[in-house]
Amino acid sequence: MMKHSSAKVLFWQIGILAVALGIWEWGYGLRSVAALKPFVPGILDPYFVSKPSMIWTSFLKLSCFGDAAGFGACFARNDNNLWLALLVTLKNMWWGFALGTASGVLCGLILGRSDYLSRIFQPYVVAMNSVPRIALVPLIILMFGLGDMSKIVTAWIVVFFVVFFNTFEGTRAVDRDQIAAARLLGASELTVLRTVVVPSALAWVFASLTPAVSFALIGVIVGEFIGAERGLGKLIIEAEARANAAEMMVAIFVMMVVGIVLATIVRQLQSYLLRWQPQFESQS
Amino acid sequence: MIGAPQRMKLAAVNAASERVRITVQNLDKRYGSGESGVMAVDKVSFEVRQGEFVALLGPSGCGKSTILNMVAGLIPRSGGDIAIDRDEVRLGEVNRKVGYVFQRDTVFPWRTVEANIGYGLEIAGVSAAERKDKVTRAIATAGLEGFGGKFPRMLSGGMRQRVALMRTLIMEPEILLMDEPFGALDTHTKLEMHKTLLEIWERERQTVLFVTHDLGEALTLASRIILLSARPGRLKEDFEVPFIRPRDAVSLRETPEFGRLYSHIWHSLGEEFRRTKAD
Repeated sequence: MMKHSSAKVLFWQIGILAVALGIWEWGYGLRSVAALKPFVPGILDPYFVSKPSMIWTSFLKLSCFGDAAGFGACFARNDNNLWLALLVTLKNMWWGFALGTASGVLCGLILGRSDYLSRIFQPYVVAMNSVPRIALVPLIILMFGLGDMSKIVTAWIVVFFVVFFNTFEGTRAVDRDQIAAARLLGASELTVLRTVVVPSALAWVFASLTPAVSFALIGVIVGEFIGAERGLGKLIIEAEARANAAEMMVAIFVMMVVGIVLATIVRQLQSYLLRWQPQFESQS
Repeated sequence: MIGAPQRMKLAAVNAASERVRITVQNLDKRYGSGESGVMAVDKVSFEVRQGEFVALLGPSGCGKSTILNMVAGLIPRSGGDIAIDRDEVRLGEVNRKVGYVFQRDTVFPWRTVEANIGYGLEIAGVSAAERKDKVTRAIATAGLEGFGGKFPRMLSGGMRQRVALMRTLIMEPEILLMDEPFGALDTHTKLEMHKTLLEIWERERQTVLFVTHDLGEALTLASRIILLSARPGRLKEDFEVPFIRPRDAVSLRETPEFGRLYSHIWHSLGEEFRRTKAD
């Protein structure tokens, strides 16, 4: 493989972004030139995909940065402004993620360490896992209402299964000789769990956390689509009702940023906690 | 066969004290049952006395590791008795007097070298200061200075096995069970490990039961060799290794006595290897 300088890579990355944004902004306008009209697809119509400049204007409006009455007044007037919506979505996502991860790790460790329990629960786990999680959302909203709780439960269920399966497999994969070595050095069952099984399974747990973060976001947003009072998903549904593509795009971009930031945090944490693994060599 | 084992026993210079530490009597191990069952160990009996370094030597698959694991209480036995200091060995019960070193790399990869060596002390609740003190000394003994803060993946196989050895030795076991601990190492690294182990053992004189299929290794380290037959493992010969101590792992191999003993046992072992192949 040829080595390319990072400056060159960056040049192409920025180049592609600039071209894409340019086509998005001015592409549809080329239809006014008769000769070019057949080459411009209808999907570029700002009615559907908006335009970078319109998205920016919408962002200023929704975020209260560009409001004539000033940021504070705008913020107080709209109880689902961009920041409040983001905060609500993040909060629900965090609780769903935290509860899902904690319960997933706990159940994975228990079933992973006990052949007896894992045999008993296996058919239930398989059956539950076969249900598409999204199909449960209306039911969850029926049970927990339109408030935050239904979003937290949705994210929890989605995250739980991902983390549970990985923890279970990771617990199963622990080196038996390492467990025997710990026992021979005087470790009790609980000490073995704490000092051998958990650190050893941690690599598997972390492998599930990056997707779990995305799943938590998906869970919350879908919950908000189907029935909610606040949140980024609610913002999108409202914008859809007014056929406002620009506002939808604002919410989508904010989610993108949230996804990137959270994935980076998980990766940083992972590379610190798993610094003993070869693939994280450079960080340690 | 050249020379009777009895005669060699007379030549013994390793004066072991009389106290019996490990007793193995009529030990059997059978895998599976009925017609399809395989006899892995058949009526093996021996004793290991205080301060002896006994090598269990035999061809691959003769059940020598199985015997060691039964002595450690890691696997169940099918028949016979095992006792350590007259106390019967029970499955899964850990004896604090016993240390065990595995053939496979069992160093904890998520712990630094220091934390690996100090593991047993840490879970026993030994204070951080005392632990640090002991770990520092263990690191010096193993020749691992400067690697204390490193993770095992940065270490060579030989260094990792040094960590495993020190992790066991720091608990000051009176009895040391070793299952081909240097079996996965290259010749040169193996010799280095022999030097280190000899140095430690000649100072501390733990009671050692050491499993190996490497004749040179057994002769270099052990004060007594128990030779096992090919599967099913039966006691074939039991003799003292007469070389004086302190031994030098390298120059010992160049002495005529070493060569003579080596060829005697080699012929004895050779029969076993031929038997294994004929099966």
